[in-house]
Amino acid sequence: MNNGDARAEIMRSIRTHLAMSAPYDGPEKPINTNPSKSPVQTAVPSVVELFKQNLEAVDGHCLVVYNEAELSEAVNRIVNGRRVATSDAPPATGDLFKYDVGITSAQAGIAETGTLVLDSSVERNRLVSLVPPVHIAILNASRIYRTLSDALTTLQSGEEVSPAITFITGPSRTADIELTLAIGVHGPQELYVIINQNN
Amino acid sequence: MKVSLFVTCLVDQLWSNIGTSCVAVLRRVGCEVEFDDRQTCCGQPAFNTGYRNEARPVARRFIEVFEESKADAIVSPSGSCTAMVHHFPELFSDEPQWRERAEAIAARTHELSSFLIRVLEIEDVGARWQGKLTWHDACHGLRDLNLKMEPRRLIRQVRGAEFVELENAESCCGFGGTFSVKYPEISLAILDQKIEAIERAGVQAVVSGDASCLMQIGGRLSRTGSKVRVMHLAELLAATD
Amino acid sequence: MNTETFAENAKAALQDAQLRDALRNATTLFGKKRREAAASLSNWEELRSQARAIKDEVLLHLDRYLETFVRNAEKRGAKIHWARDAAEANAIITRLTTERGARNVVKSKSMTTEEIHLNAALERAGMQVVETDLGEYIIQLADETPSHIIAPAIHKTKRQIAELFTTELGMAPTDDVAQLTSTARATLRERFATADVGISGVNFGIVETGTIVIVENEGNIRLTTSLPRTHIAVMGIEKLLPRFDDLDVFLKLLPRSGTGQALSTYQSFITGTKRNASDEGPEELHIIVLDNGRSRMLAHPVTRQSLACIRCGACLNSCPVYQQIGGHAYGSVYPGPIGSVITPQLIGMQKAAQLPYASSLCGACREVCPVKIDIPQLLLHLRSEISEKQPSGRRKERLLFKLWAAIMTRPWLYEKTASAARLFQRWLKPPVKAWTSGRDLRPIEAESFREQWRRTR
Repeated sequence: MNNGDARAEIMRSIRTHLAMSAPYDGPEKPINTNPSKSPVQTAVPSVVELFKQNLEAVDGHCLVVYNEAELSEAVNRIVNGRRVATSDAPPATGDLFKYDVGITSAQAGIAETGTLVLDSSVERNRLVSLVPPVHIAILNASRIYRTLSDALTTLQSGEEVSPAITFITGPSRTADIELTLAIGVHGPQELYVIINQNN
Repeated sequence: MKVSLFVTCLVDQLWSNIGTSCVAVLRRVGCEVEFDDRQTCCGQPAFNTGYRNEARPVARRFIEVFEESKADAIVSPSGSCTAMVHHFPELFSDEPQWRERAEAIAARTHELSSFLIRVLEIEDVGARWQGKLTWHDACHGLRDLNLKMEPRRLIRQVRGAEFVELENAESCCGFGGTFSVKYPEISLAILDQKIEAIERAGVQAVVSGDASCLMQIGGRLSRTGSKVRVMHLAELLAATD
Repeated sequence: MNTETFAENAKAALQDAQLRDALRNATTLFGKKRREAAASLSNWEELRSQARAIKDEVLLHLDRYLETFVRNAEKRGAKIHWARDAAEANAIITRLTTERGARNVVKSKSMTTEEIHLNAALERAGMQVVETDLGEYIIQLADETPSHIIAPAIHKTKRQIAELFTTELGMAPTDDVAQLTSTARATLRERFATADVGISGVNFGIVETGTIVIVENEGNIRLTTSLPRTHIAVMGIEKLLPRFDDLDVFLKLLPRSGTGQALSTYQSFITGTKRNASDEGPEELHIIVLDNGRSRMLAHPVTRQSLACIRCGACLNSCPVYQQIGGHAYGSVYPGPIGSVITPQLIGMQKAAQLPYASSLCGACREVCPVKIDIPQLLLHLRSEISEKQPSGRRKERLLFKLWAAIMTRPWLYEKTASAARLFQRWLKPPVKAWTSGRDLRPIEAESFREQWRRTR
């Protein structure tokens, strides 16, 4: 449904006004399409260290585990008997509001910012990572990119971009009331990222 | 080095001591100073209020007068007026010949501290002034001409002067030309932030490179009965107490 | 408050001590955080230049890029609707919601939807619309408009907010920010759970993939765009970026400039609709492509840069005028420096004629703008447009400057006028009164510089 008249008129208006500008426009400058890389520091920490540092700086929790046993133990310790929803078998959406903890995996991580990358075409993580007040994300160490730029490149390297990708950096927050920071607004109040270094 | 003085209409009529001081400083550092009394104004009031057609003839007049000078540089005790001269080419975007002439004049026109530091490469002009003072960064000088370290380097060489950095040195004083009389309440509210910082700094004087800012700040300081005085950079540098 | 009474609005704002306190705190803190965040990236200046270059490229070829964006979004299942102005956008959105039998609408913060006054239109059609961003929710309850581009309720104290919540939501009185936040969270969760339609804005539209990108800290945008079965996204035509990779530059600049964060908590990258009916997420995605005066700004390189704005709010925080009077005084959806230049272009020079003059041209905004918009240049351009095209009200002023030019081009006349002014300075009225209401005025020198020069050199 394209409401053709409106489309035509808007496009015409754009073209007409661009044409009016032409006599005043200088020569077009070529742009550098290579995304700017943040300068690399001399003492380079590992992506895991960097990720942990940056996530903790925004009030996220980060644990590193080395095998399945440690992973289960870490998860159980955090869950601590509360009601859990998982992205592989999530409850009905309406019920999700009653759960305390949501567990998902993360398809990638970004060390530069301590960010999780969730791709909803891989698993049903969109709401499980958002509705319950606690979110546990399991991230494979080998899927951590150093920079935002690297992550962005990979996201569109496949056939087509996934319909819904979410970047998550820490628990939800606001400073709308007198600029006082409040953690846990609409999204989770606590975020735990468990990095699995299991080879 | 031969210098042609662009004194500015404001200094000419309302603060001649700035002009006199500017000449004294330039002579002290070995410049020959000429003053062409056919100069009037750079056109900034009209340009800034949106009257480009009225600013243009005034700019042309300026260019014609100063083109005749054989001086190596045109020097002015005003950041905003110097910035205006640097804007001249914009006024003549449709007139290539005038545009070229404007560019030539603009290239030769310098604000005082910029001339001393960047052209003559002199920091110590032999000034002496006893007391505690601070500096207000006039907006055009700061942001259009990138003057930040230049005045500070000159001030630090003034014997007897104790320099303290103002906590909001880079904040506008609220003058803004006709803004100060179109929106006087806002202008005063902005000004008072500057005044409060000056009082907190506990200085005897506040120095700046633009007479307009000094009138704004000085006018409020005297109205509020403050003991702090205002001084133009040229006046400070000319001082040999 | 409206734009036409700007001068009165500003005067009233200056009398409001609590507002001025709130503004001082907010703008100082935002300014400090922005400075620190910018300083943390050694390539900050390079990023700004790149961002501006990308925006210049898009805007110069907006027709081509817009068509490609639309084609790519449609390929992925998005429905595109074109809106020439606010009325058309509201009509489309109202139709989409009523066609679907929607009653409950949840909205995330979008300045574009404020611009078109969407909520009022939907409410007239019988919808219940709730703002889900905490700041927007607060001002919705208070029946006010946002006073800042990114922190809409910055003019309110927590006490005022608490009172509001007690009155409107029956909350037990408290001053505790965490309590206030969780009250809002609980109330809004109920609305999310029963929402039929979610409406959002768009921060960036990626041309090469047809992706819309929305940025936030709270999580309400994710809820708004994931829970309801219909998602309507309102996007100004200028929001495009050519390539997915361009996001690296913009995601570095936007949060740092706005709140001093390295990255906001959530970014949603939405490309069309879900692949399978059984997947999570809305059934439908509608993108409203909005002009509403933007295409006109393409007509000159100086005005075209207005469209590069990424709505970070940094210019507001740095502006000495905004710092004193706040956002409401501008009487427009977009306040501060960027508001002063786009409002006249969006709603017309006639109504917004005061705004371009409400600036001291200090240039602080230009310094902090992540996309290097030269706002002072724009202000001067608009002042020149207004003085040329607005005959009434400026006639006297234009004559004065004509006279001034006649004097300034004749040195002998300049000197005569100066002497006369010196003689009659006591009787020079209005501009002098505006000055002397708060400041002493230097008298005209008994002997001008040039007279002294002639006498002594």
